[in-house]
Amino acid sequence: MSDETLNANPAIRNTSDLPSRRRQTSPHSSKQHALGLFSSTVPACAYSPDPFTSSTSSDEENSDDDDIVEPIDEQEIYDLIAPITDPEHPLTLGSLSVVNLPDIHLTPLFPPSSSSTSPPITVLTVYITPTITHCSLATVIGLGVRVRLEQALPSRFRVDVRIKEGTHSTAEQVNKQLGDKERVAAALENGTLMGVLRKMLKGCEGT
Amino acid sequence: MSDVRDFLLTIDNNKTGAEEIAHQTARKLESKQTSLLQVVQSLDEYIHDEDPAIRAKAVQYLSLVIGALPSNCLTVQQVQVLCEFLCAQLENGSAVGGLRKLSGLRKFTKDMAKMTIRALFANFQDLQIRSPKERLPIFELLNELMSQHRAALKDMGDEFVIGVTDLVSGEKDPRNLMIIFSVLKVVMVEWDISGRAESMFDSVFCYFPITFRPPPDDPYGITAQDLKGRLKDCIAASSLFAPFAFPQLIDKLDSTSPNVKKDVLQAITACASSYSVSVISNYSITLWDSLKYEILNVQEEDLAEEALLSLQAIAIRLSDSLTSADPKSHLARYLRPITNECNEQLQEPQHKQAKPAGQILSSLGTASATAYFLIIKSVMPPLMTMYQAADSITKQRALLEVLVQLFNAAILVKTLPVVPSSDPILVEPLDSFHDRLFELTSQALMSTTKDEVSFRIVALTALLRLCSLQGYLKDNEIGMAVQYFDEIVLEEDPSGRDDLKNQAIQALVEISKAKPHLIMQITFPAFMARLPDSSPPGKNEYLITLEGLAQLSVEKSISDTLVRRLLNRLDVVLQTGGSPTYPQALLSTLIYVLTRRDLRQDPNLSFYHGKLVVDLAQRVVQGAIDPTKSTALNEEATLEILGRLMNLIVRALDDHRQNSVALQVYTLFTDETVWTPVPYQHDVPLPYRLTMILSTSLIASVKREIPLAHNSVETGITHLKELIRLSSIEESPSVRLAILRQIALMVNKILPPSSLPTILDLLEGLSSGLHPTTPLTENAIRTTFWISKALILRLASVSEILTHLLNLISSPSHGLSSARGFALLLAPDEILSKENGATIRLLAKQRVFTICIPRLATDFRNADPAVKQNYLIALSGILKYVPTDVLMPEISTLLPLLLQSLDLPEPDVKAATIETLSVILVESPEAVEEHMASLVTRLLKAADEPTSSTGSSARVRQSALRCLRLAPGKVKESKLLPLKGKVTWGLRACLDDRKRGVRKEAIECRARWLGLDEPDSE
Repeated sequence: MSDETLNANPAIRNTSDLPSRRRQTSPHSSKQHALGLFSSTVPACAYSPDPFTSSTSSDEENSDDDDIVEPIDEQEIYDLIAPITDPEHPLTLGSLSVVNLPDIHLTPLFPPSSSSTSPPITVLTVYITPTITHCSLATVIGLGVRVRLEQALPSRFRVDVRIKEGTHSTAEQVNKQLGDKERVAAALENGTLMGVLRKMLKGCEGT
Repeated sequence: MSDVRDFLLTIDNNKTGAEEIAHQTARKLESKQTSLLQVVQSLDEYIHDEDPAIRAKAVQYLSLVIGALPSNCLTVQQVQVLCEFLCAQLENGSAVGGLRKLSGLRKFTKDMAKMTIRALFANFQDLQIRSPKERLPIFELLNELMSQHRAALKDMGDEFVIGVTDLVSGEKDPRNLMIIFSVLKVVMVEWDISGRAESMFDSVFCYFPITFRPPPDDPYGITAQDLKGRLKDCIAASSLFAPFAFPQLIDKLDSTSPNVKKDVLQAITACASSYSVSVISNYSITLWDSLKYEILNVQEEDLAEEALLSLQAIAIRLSDSLTSADPKSHLARYLRPITNECNEQLQEPQHKQAKPAGQILSSLGTASATAYFLIIKSVMPPLMTMYQAADSITKQRALLEVLVQLFNAAILVKTLPVVPSSDPILVEPLDSFHDRLFELTSQALMSTTKDEVSFRIVALTALLRLCSLQGYLKDNEIGMAVQYFDEIVLEEDPSGRDDLKNQAIQALVEISKAKPHLIMQITFPAFMARLPDSSPPGKNEYLITLEGLAQLSVEKSISDTLVRRLLNRLDVVLQTGGSPTYPQALLSTLIYVLTRRDLRQDPNLSFYHGKLVVDLAQRVVQGAIDPTKSTALNEEATLEILGRLMNLIVRALDDHRQNSVALQVYTLFTDETVWTPVPYQHDVPLPYRLTMILSTSLIASVKREIPLAHNSVETGITHLKELIRLSSIEESPSVRLAILRQIALMVNKILPPSSLPTILDLLEGLSSGLHPTTPLTENAIRTTFWISKALILRLASVSEILTHLLNLISSPSHGLSSARGFALLLAPDEILSKENGATIRLLAKQRVFTICIPRLATDFRNADPAVKQNYLIALSGILKYVPTDVLMPEISTLLPLLLQSLDLPEPDVKAATIETLSVILVESPEAVEEHMASLVTRLLKAADEPTSSTGSSARVRQSALRCLRLAPGKVKESKLLPLKGKVTWGLRACLDDRKRGVRKEAIECRARWLGLDEPDSE
């Protein structure tokens, strides 16, 4: 890698404008926050339940919630990869628009049969958009996205990371590299490369 | 006779003995038993000895003798003689000690100082062959001469400069360097070094950058930062260094090490703040050209910040004594290329470098009023044009952000001390954009589509800054802004725009500090008008209004009015009926506002007492007596809130008023002809019984010394028995809790210590009557534990009571309820609290812990399998409230029990156990090491999705994963690596959990475990 930054002045998106789940859910939904600001007027210990009856009542309350299944959706995939740091800017792939919510596609491989309760095998395709068309780091970025997804998703997901069409001069070559299991595995054996990837994925911690 | 001889014979074997001999000589000198001449002469044969060691010891002897002499004992001549003698012996390091003593005497003259310095220079040409320890006193002597005889050294001029640079060259010891840097700095500042600037500079810059790292057991406590600080002061000491310093510093800015870069930037800042204006001016543009790279292509935030400080320091220096905005000034010439570059960067405001450009402008704008003026003048016109032409919201937002940064500078610059006789041209340069800016920010806020939340937030910030910029907007304009903010809070659909609403409320709060009258005139009526007169069906939009009002009432005048208006509104709402949540919210708002004031000093306190305590209590009673008069106040949940409000007010009352409250805790300010208080009655209907909630709050809030209706010993015990009777038959959980709390207050706070034996008898009687599970038994256990809690917290008969309670656990019928009761003992309670005058001893937790843990551990081992889990439940109930440091010594006893608790089906126990294990993992990881395999298996099991109803809840799954995540980094890696495969494999299932929160935790946990054994991981 050269020391020169390839694209010194990319466009960036404001973090608050990035797609997030928070916007979609309504505020004050949970019981604790029903009082909003005034929940501070109730001492914290007033919430602790009567120990003599606690176990049955709180169990019911939890299992109510527990029955609602929250499936893995595109937003969740986005949240996994958007905080990855770009290898040459201290900025995230989300804010650089390298990964975008509409470019994440989940396709169940077999239509889920009503008899089986286990979730279906799913193909996940992520298209990434390099900041400039000749970005030589596109492969590294793609690899970072791939590694992150493989570590974070259950095995029923088939991960496919590709360069978005028309956004890179050697997209085909990069796609081939990213799609080739053996070449990916070989790349992950490379110490320097792994060092770069680890630094990129640091941004995902504690989010 | 010769002391020196004795000294020489002793010194090698007995250092203190030798010192004592020297002190003896000193005493002889003092008492004139011997003369100085004799002492010096006695040295003669030794200082000419062939063996240098003997010569050194002889001189050391003399040094010690001089050192032990009182400071006024020597005459000038004697000092002179000794000084000459020691200087002649100086190649011998031991003379230094004597000279240090002499140089501190008042009789030590200028000439002696010069002689000493010359001797130093002559004798220590190759100082570095000596050990650092030997060099130290030499530098200390130099430093002392520098501070006490500076004039003499100055007379020496160049001779001293050359000599001192030679003397110190090549030094590497950090302790010595600390002294050298401070000596050299004085030379650089106070000597004329114009002829030798370069060599002086080189003598210190050769140490740059400092790479020193103190050894782990460093006895001197010198840090790299100490050295860096002193070195920086040297580099910045003289303007003459500029031609050498700046090129070399700029050169070193190319370093790849962030630490070196940081040192360079801090050195540049120091130089910029201390070199002369004309010198800085010569280099200002060169420096800008190098520094801008660090900011515009930011790699590390803190380096960019340092570079900004450097740029700012230059501007501050160049602003010195500058009072006009003359375009030919040094400052104007420095700023010109900067504003040009920033203007250019801002052409593409949505790109990465625009934000740093804004930071540069803002940071330089705060350097001085003149800098601010020049920057605004050259930046604002193009900014305005660009904003006009901006074709997207993204661009506009980025430009607005730059405006906010400039406004921040405007606000900050006003806080700088005013330079006298400022050029009248330096009026607020934003004035000419006044109308445009107000219009632009208002439009951006109010006329943009409502979806552009982040854009509107920036616009709101910009408008608020304009309001805060002193004297910029007129009151009617700020009033318009206030109306906009009101509108956002009140009118706009709340979904998803919480951020904006919160910001708007914060903006109003901000304005209320400077302009409370605007808030009173505009916001207050607008908000009050929004509050409905009756409980609205469905949505509780009034909550946002109430929240707004509550936050705005930081100003006293506003808060006074608010309390009265809320009371009126409550009155109206109670009459109209409807859902109780609205009146509850009104009461909660009152609590929120009143907790933020010092009620004891509040002139309105008696008004609150009358309205909120007496009137409302009477209303509750009326509603209880007559169902047609029943209001939302008679609801259980409302009574809880009302109780808190009354508690708050009564606690603040004086003794006199508390006295009258104390007599009315059951009558509730109502005539006994219409209202019969609850105690001592039978078959009381529920609305009556609910008033016990208020009674409890009132009893709690009255001071311990104030007599209640029932507190002489006999009536007190009778009353306690009555309360126990009431609690045993009560079916409503909240009334029962209120009665139990009254019991606890009686036992802990009200009854005198002498009644303890009677109370213990009552306690005994309660549990001896226990027989197979009936509701009565359950209530008896509750009462038992509440009385126990009240006694234990004041440390009365702790061990006796606990033994009694522990015995209950083994019962097949009521053992489980009793075990659960242990969670009550140490739990914080809102009524039985310090604030309410209860006795809560800090030691109670430790006592309960140390008495119960061994018993629980033994009993658990011997217990019948059917009741085994009871012990674990009791354990978890205690551990929940015990501080970590109490817990730690018993870890080895606890761990096996805790691991077994993880297998229990009780979700509360499981959750509490995981909490405890997490604490242990963090605080004392080595204790868990041996149990890691078993812990991992159980946590993975707890984290697994429920396949049946016995599985863990989402909350438990999540906390199990969080606990598992804590291990890497805490527990020794060698203990974890064998488990890595098991964990990462086991977690795969959790990655597919049905709950998002659990999955997220699983991903993080897995990442931590995958990171084990990786190079570079921490």
